[in-house]
Amino acid sequence: MTFDKQIKRRDLLKTSAMLGIAGAAGSVAPSLLKAEPAKPTEIIVRAWGGPWVEALKAGVSDPFTTKTGIKVRHDLTEDNEIQPKVWAAVAQKRTPPIHINWDTTTNATKSALRGVCEDLSDLPNLKGTTDLAKPVGVDGYPIVNTYGYVYVLAYRPSAFPSGPPASYHDLLDPKFKGRLAFYNDGIGFHFPAQVAGGGKLDGIPNNMQPCWDFVSKIKTQEPLLGEDPDFVTWFQNGEIDAACTISTNALGAKRNGVDIAWTIPKEGAKFDTDGLWIPKGHSEGDLYWSREYINHALSKESQQIWLDGLGLPGVIPGLRPPPGLAGDPSYPTKPADFDRLIRISGKIQVENESEWFSKFKAIMQG
Amino acid sequence: MDILEAAFSKIWPKKGGFWGPYLMLSPAILLVGLLVLGLAYIGDTSLRTLDTSTFLFSEEWSLANYERALTEPFIRSVIWRSILGATIVTMTTLLLAFPYTYIMVRTRSAFLRKFLLIALFLPFFIGQVVRAYGWLIILGKQGIVNDILGLIGIEPLRMLFNYPSVLFGLVQYMFPFAVLMLAPALTAIPEEIEAAAESLGASWQETMLYVILPMAKSGLIGAGLVVLTLSLTDFAMPAILGGGTQDFVANAIYDQFFRTSDQGFGSSLAVLLIAIGSLLVWIIFMLVGAGTLALGAKDK
Amino acid sequence: MNKVSAVSASNVCLQFGDVHAVKNVCFELEEGRFLTVLGPSGSGKTTLLRLIAGFQQPDQGEIFIKGQTVRELAPNKRSIGMVFQRLALFPHMTAAENVAFPLKMRRFNARTISDRVKEYLHLVRLEGLGSRKINELSGGQQQRVAIARALVFEPDLLLLDEPLAALDRKLREEMQLEFRRIQKELGVTTINVTHDQREALVVSDQIIVMNYGEIQQNATPLEVYRSPSNPFVANFVGVTNLFHGMLESLKGQQVAIRISQQTLLGTSKSENSALTQGVSVQAAIRAEQIRLFRGKSENRECEAYFEGRVTDVIFEGERILYELSVAALSDAPIRIIHHDQQDFSTFEVGEMVFVGWQSRDMHVFVVD
Repeated sequence: MTFDKQIKRRDLLKTSAMLGIAGAAGSVAPSLLKAEPAKPTEIIVRAWGGPWVEALKAGVSDPFTTKTGIKVRHDLTEDNEIQPKVWAAVAQKRTPPIHINWDTTTNATKSALRGVCEDLSDLPNLKGTTDLAKPVGVDGYPIVNTYGYVYVLAYRPSAFPSGPPASYHDLLDPKFKGRLAFYNDGIGFHFPAQVAGGGKLDGIPNNMQPCWDFVSKIKTQEPLLGEDPDFVTWFQNGEIDAACTISTNALGAKRNGVDIAWTIPKEGAKFDTDGLWIPKGHSEGDLYWSREYINHALSKESQQIWLDGLGLPGVIPGLRPPPGLAGDPSYPTKPADFDRLIRISGKIQVENESEWFSKFKAIMQG
Repeated sequence: MDILEAAFSKIWPKKGGFWGPYLMLSPAILLVGLLVLGLAYIGDTSLRTLDTSTFLFSEEWSLANYERALTEPFIRSVIWRSILGATIVTMTTLLLAFPYTYIMVRTRSAFLRKFLLIALFLPFFIGQVVRAYGWLIILGKQGIVNDILGLIGIEPLRMLFNYPSVLFGLVQYMFPFAVLMLAPALTAIPEEIEAAAESLGASWQETMLYVILPMAKSGLIGAGLVVLTLSLTDFAMPAILGGGTQDFVANAIYDQFFRTSDQGFGSSLAVLLIAIGSLLVWIIFMLVGAGTLALGAKDK
Repeated sequence: MNKVSAVSASNVCLQFGDVHAVKNVCFELEEGRFLTVLGPSGSGKTTLLRLIAGFQQPDQGEIFIKGQTVRELAPNKRSIGMVFQRLALFPHMTAAENVAFPLKMRRFNARTISDRVKEYLHLVRLEGLGSRKINELSGGQQQRVAIARALVFEPDLLLLDEPLAALDRKLREEMQLEFRRIQKELGVTTINVTHDQREALVVSDQIIVMNYGEIQQNATPLEVYRSPSNPFVANFVGVTNLFHGMLESLKGQQVAIRISQQTLLGTSKSENSALTQGVSVQAAIRAEQIRLFRGKSENRECEAYFEGRVTDVIFEGERILYELSVAALSDAPIRIIHHDQQDFSTFEVGEMVFVGWQSRDMHVFVVD
């Protein structure tokens, strides 16, 4: 394994430096040859706040500290706001502000394409992961995906007395005018809309007219457009009846007592992943222990606790689903569960999302 | 001032006499210098295009970002929405702030004056974002206004997440700025002037139109410029009260910087926003004369 | 009186809280006359003017202009031109625009406006300066614009609210004469408010002296000066010496009063019933009605005659003000204005001199 070799090479480098010092002192301690790289006092993990960071702390960070004695500090800067800072640090060859970025795979893919991610393909625990852990559209493992999530169609059961909406076409009923919600850049909705508009998934990205046609139809319903926290608020305040949103938001609202359910309509639902990655520019020791952290996050015990908190399917087989989510469409585990989930390569997404977002906004705000 | 000078003489003994005043200017120069530096950086970035296969910016300059900004229908509509919105907000704010300020300045009742001042400053201490969320609570489907309407049998209305609600939020946000800018201008007009106009045969409407408004011109222009530029560049109100459907230029810039990671395109939008703002200010100065703000040389 | 007064007030009162700003004011003013309301600050003179202009409503009483009550008329409906204390010219307009303003507001025929503006700028001697902005005019020129603006629409009444107060003395005196000239030329009924007794005497046909909101005297300038109706007027107009004493006896208008062991003679206009023996009185004599002599022999027709010591000499150009201490009058300070400039005979501080006056010049008032 290249991994072992690297470690040895690193040990040697370290040791020779030590030898220099030790030699000057006149004696050589043999135990130093076997030493791990020096431990940093803390490592900084960028995370999302609220229940997200709580879950990470319980499942990964706290056990990691117990095991290694290294403190973990969570930096709650928004993912999209830390990105330029990290990029700037790498470009200027400074130490990046964080050790590990917990990021959406799409966002992380941009950093991977830019070449600011350390390669993680030799982490020992990767051997035990499912295909989900591998980022699509980039070489190797600049990112390790740690779980997946579904952009479900969340709805208020009282507004759909005859059962869950079977198709996005059901939302075109005039009674839902002004009572639908989507992400303000349309993320999660582009791909099902492509299907709903009569197009094919392999038309992405080159023939997406069906998607825009269907978005234009939805636009006549005057939907609300927002971001994650908005959906929960809007459901809570009775502003909307249905929304295309990440299942976590719907689950959060349900756990807060909002009357809400979710489904995957026949057009399917976008499936995406979040992951962990390490920006380049850290010292050997810091890098070593950051990799250890991610490796630890891929252990079954960590995954189980972390993802129970998030209610999302992990990348290690045989995890126990959180209560109530077994068999839920937002918690795919078996190959059949993935049939109606749409997964598009991160590379295609990052290369085209700017255009998709503009196009979606142009239609919605036109 | 004395303390400052004493401090200066300590760190800058004797011969500092000549440099002292310039030294005091240095924080301002530093600030302006940093701003210019930032602008230069933004200008440079705006000329570089993003390669989405490597997420690196081009080495050479091109106007591609500007071309895209001016041709993309979405950006065009965002720019137009910002300009129109800022104009409407400015007009409305001035229209509302003028009588408010007038009464506040002229009233003989100390109670009324205090009340108007407190009513003005109370929301000032509450940040823009909190205020916007306040409107969500007040104007929402299950908000106070709809509760009251419900009492008289009116179905809940959608009052939020549209252009008018963004403009409404902006007007409410800009109102104190406008009043604070207008107050000194109106205070400077002696009451005797109004009595004079009246004794010369002017009705109060004519006094307002021909005497008070022209004399308050500098205040109105100043307040107008502040409100116009602040509204034009506002982010929070369109983001919160617009329901994602009413982006202003600042929102588009944010998206480019932080969502699609295209700082080049975002920078070009920032440069355009600065250009539009400057152009509007320039037009106003051309129409009314820069001397209005006592900035330029004296008339004649 | 069968002729209708241009302005009259009957029993006008206005209170601010507990303060009587104007109390029981009654007066009549004939057409074309120049009335000055004279009084110290706080005397209610400006309030009276604001009541006439309509900026304030009286609590009681009525104001009539040309015999008609103006109670229901807003200021812009009254035919009154007013020149304000700080002029209140419109700084955003030129001089001509200022003068044209009332014509436009009062809907004068648009075609006649510019001619009329020119005519009035000529009247106030500002021809050719009409296109100047207000801040490009001197203080005196601004005064003239304010006058032209107040008169251009030919109001029934012109009100002057101490417009000259802020001017330096020379300009003020020049403008006083200018006001008088313009007023005479147009024959406009005018009410002027001032605290400057000299201005009042110079320009007015009629003077009303006010204090504490009440009229103290309403008479011609000569009368106000020569026979003030009470010690306040006597003291406020001109330089006056006041003595406190006791009434001894009375014979017609001539009274004998006792002031610090001395018996002095004077005249009184007070009601005879008030003039009872032993009542407290004040005696007033103007500084210029006292004569100064170097020796006793120079005493010609003086009826009162004392020796005093010069304590101060103030040279004021055309006159000299002496201050004396007279032992016979308990060292009361006496001020004397000396106009005899022919021989430039002056007295030194410390010099013993003789003072004398005629008893008709000493006005005796009963103290309330």
